[in-house]
Amino acid sequence: MSRFILHIDGAVVLVPQTSGDAETVVEDKGPSPIAPEIKELAWGAGAFIVLFALMRIWLFPRLKKGMDARYGKIRGDHESADATRAAANAEVAEYEAEIATVKAQAAARIEAARGVLEAERTAALAEVNGRIAIRRTESNAASEAARAAAAEHVQAAVADVSSRAAELATGHKPQAAAVSGIVASLMAGGHK
Amino acid sequence: MLGLKFPPINELIRWRDIFTNFNKVGVIAVAAALIGIAVFLIAGSRDPLKAPTGVRNLAETGVNFIENDIVMQTMGKDGLRWTPFLLSLFVFIYLCNLPGILPVLQMPATARMAIPLFLALFVWVIYNAVGIRHNGIKYFTLMVWPPGVPVAMRPLVGLIEFLSNIILRPFSLAVRLFANMLAGHMLLITFAFLTNALFFAETKQFALKPMSILPFFMLVFLTAFEVLVGFLQAYIFTILTAVFINAAQHPEH
Repeated sequence: MSRFILHIDGAVVLVPQTSGDAETVVEDKGPSPIAPEIKELAWGAGAFIVLFALMRIWLFPRLKKGMDARYGKIRGDHESADATRAAANAEVAEYEAEIATVKAQAAARIEAARGVLEAERTAALAEVNGRIAIRRTESNAASEAARAAAAEHVQAAVADVSSRAAELATGHKPQAAAVSGIVASLMAGGHK
Repeated sequence: MLGLKFPPINELIRWRDIFTNFNKVGVIAVAAALIGIAVFLIAGSRDPLKAPTGVRNLAETGVNFIENDIVMQTMGKDGLRWTPFLLSLFVFIYLCNLPGILPVLQMPATARMAIPLFLALFVWVIYNAVGIRHNGIKYFTLMVWPPGVPVAMRPLVGLIEFLSNIILRPFSLAVRLFANMLAGHMLLITFAFLTNALFFAETKQFALKPMSILPFFMLVFLTAFEVLVGFLQAYIFTILTAVFINAAQHPEH
């Protein structure tokens, strides 16, 4: 089995456990690794100050100006779009109001026409019903007259037949008026 | 024998001069400034009225991040005039942190004490100047003796507040950034060395070679983690700067 030993205090040695001679620590005799070097500080300072100065004076204002211009344009476009939308909505509302007015007028006209038609229909119907009633009355009278005439014919025939039958039975001809009266009363009772 | 000699720490973080007094840390610092300038220069040259894309989108995202997530959260609307300073600070620190995971460079400039120290001292000067400008000489008395402190407690509170505001703040600001970036850098180096040592080990124990996958996975994970650390440290430094400036304007709080 190997065993690895790391020393980070200046050196690291990787050794197998089997080797007996291994652990070697190399001393670092350079300057402190955390001590700042003047040349690095100078270059870092110079580079940062140049970047900051250019950023402060020129680069950032230019970029920011462009950003603000675009944001302003976007805001303006938004406001313009809102105004257009509001105008469109107003036009739609106006159109809908006009549509509603026209619909109301059309409905009133239709209602008026329907009333006229209804009145004409009622009048026509009344006229037709009147004519039907007259014709029905006339028909009823005619049929009543025909029925009365038929009844008289039947009564006369029955009276004749009854007179003849009585004459044959008794040898005497009964009085026609009496027979007619009896037949009439019998027919009237038979009807009941 | 199987052995890995870990290089002395100074060999890992101190760099030879490329030319007189200009080493890799200087290269990274200058590159960070130039890249920051180039990004905002290109972003500013694009048509601002069109929807931002690419570099302009990146720059505007940075501005909005500083304004909305740092300035408005710590200083309010009055602090928006500090956006260029805080933006420069964030961009510079982040671009100095990032080379820690970039091939070839593989060294965050902030893993050396010089840049964090300069930035912390710069911030220290700025917030004390702001405090004096807003409150005059009363800035110091309000800072060390906030209103409401009992007279008997004033010496102790005064000492604590003085040490906290004048000495510890810049020190902690610098050390926090430096130590985090140095620690991350050392971790990456350690696991890279371990991976290399196990994979190329001259040993008869062949089981060691496949084991190199373990430190390698750790190396990959830590590299990804350093992306987050680099961003986080830049953010922490910047937001603390905003907090300190705001506190200097209202030291009684």
